Amino acid sequence: MEITLIFEMIAASVFGAVLYTIIGIAPGTDETAVLAPVTLVLVLTGMEPIVILAFFISSIVAKKLADSIPVAIAGIPGGVLSAPMVDHAMVLKKHGLPDVSIRKMASGSVIGTLISVPLSLILANLIAPLGDAIADYSSQIFFAGAIFLALMTKNRWLALISIFPFALLIQGLRHLYWGVGAVEEDVTVFTSFFLGITIGPIILRLFELLNNEIRGSLPRRNTNDIVIKRQKPVKGFPNPFKILDKKEIRTSSLGSVLGVFTFFMSPAGMTIFLGETLSSRIKDPIKKASRAISSMDGVTNAAYIAGTLIPLIAIGVPVSPTALGPGIALFNAPPVFTEDRNLHHLLSMGDFIVATIIGAAIAISLTYFVAIKYTQQIVTFVFRYIPHEALLGVFFGLVLMLSYMDAGLINIAGVLLIGLVAGLLHRWGVNYGVQFMVLYAAPWIVSQLVL
Amino acid sequence: MSKQPPETNKPEQDKGKNIEVWEDLVNIKDLLLSMVICSALALGGYLIAPNEPPRPLIYGLVGVVIGFIISSIIIKPKRTLRFEDEES
Repeated sequence: MEITLIFEMIAASVFGAVLYTIIGIAPGTDETAVLAPVTLVLVLTGMEPIVILAFFISSIVAKKLADSIPVAIAGIPGGVLSAPMVDHAMVLKKHGLPDVSIRKMASGSVIGTLISVPLSLILANLIAPLGDAIADYSSQIFFAGAIFLALMTKNRWLALISIFPFALLIQGLRHLYWGVGAVEEDVTVFTSFFLGITIGPIILRLFELLNNEIRGSLPRRNTNDIVIKRQKPVKGFPNPFKILDKKEIRTSSLGSVLGVFTFFMSPAGMTIFLGETLSSRIKDPIKKASRAISSMDGVTNAAYIAGTLIPLIAIGVPVSPTALGPGIALFNAPPVFTEDRNLHHLLSMGDFIVATIIGAAIAISLTYFVAIKYTQQIVTFVFRYIPHEALLGVFFGLVLMLSYMDAGLINIAGVLLIGLVAGLLHRWGVNYGVQFMVLYAAPWIVSQLVL
Repeated sequence: MSKQPPETNKPEQDKGKNIEVWEDLVNIKDLLLSMVICSALALGGYLIAPNEPPRPLIYGLVGVVIGFIISSIIIKPKRTLRFEDEES
């Protein structure tokens, strides 16, 4: 491997780690919504595949490390996957231990990463022989996946039925574009549709702001009041194995292993389930909380890394919620990556190992170190100087530009339409997983509906 | 609309100017401003770029980043921070 390529991987990883440490700390930034567009854009700029992978791994590790920081110090989740940890972190905060909480979570994250990287590589190799068969039936698998995920949600009948009209909407727009000549007949608009789904909840809310009645009924406040506990400074380079006690190391590791093996399940679901199970028998509230958050952080990291790496290495088709969500651009981002030509086809096993290790190592050494040492300063900076409006503006601008790029002016309206429907479905409990599976299976589903 | 006395609306409006979107507070006017700035710079960058890929995309991205920086400078976050001391 050329030195310049390794240098590029390191640079991309540092960029990812820094960017997602900052974004991770910002309140409520949804993993898919912040990771997918940036990754996609880098893919479209024509960056080397191996560099993209290093960037992506570094970004998810950094994001997962950083999004627990606002949980610990202010009780505000930095992302969907850190939301289940809020209650436990609040217990520690109440006892005046927010710094402990961050250290436990970040250390759990590191363990999750250390376990999931090698384990995912091994598991991917075991599954790989089945890869072609799985790829051949990918449409059917996506359809089954949509049904399975729909059945797992609270309003399962709603989710189940909405699969069909949503597929029709996606495929209908494509046929419209072909019909009016917005795109060539061999072009399948994909990228901007998936971005429309990703920021669907925001698009829905923005539309609602235009409705006088809804706007009037929304709760209003002047400021978001955040209380931060001052922390003791930490000396030396932090060691996760000293920060966690033996039992915490054991449950974090166990959680991480289980997180890898259930890579095809919803990471949020697994995090809640495993985190609660692994800490359910502990009576002491402080011990219970710190066991729960360290294990949960292990699970989320492991589930994210395995959910990306296993489908990439073994199959080349995104068959996990993580691959379908944040990682989707690694599988399908026309014209650069397509179903027949993505990281799975372009990278060797050695490439995967090198990129993953560089990405993970850089994110851990940068973000973990910073998270433990300078938490207070970064959180203060982000909360004080980064307005929420600017983040929303950036995502909106990106979606607009990529919509125009995909199919011209008409597609801006098309993507807004998809966002509106996707946002409504999302609010009703039809999660991203179901929607992305439908996006993938739409051509097949619609072909089955024609009799 | 004109029948509604302004008095009934006022107290509600006074409760706060900001609305929660995506787990944090935004001011509608500021949000609009930021969306216009970021979108205009993104699309503007994309359209003025020389028509050879990936130039348009890169110009557009630079536009988005500049939009983010401008928005961050002119818009004030709707958060207040209060620090609590260790022993309490």
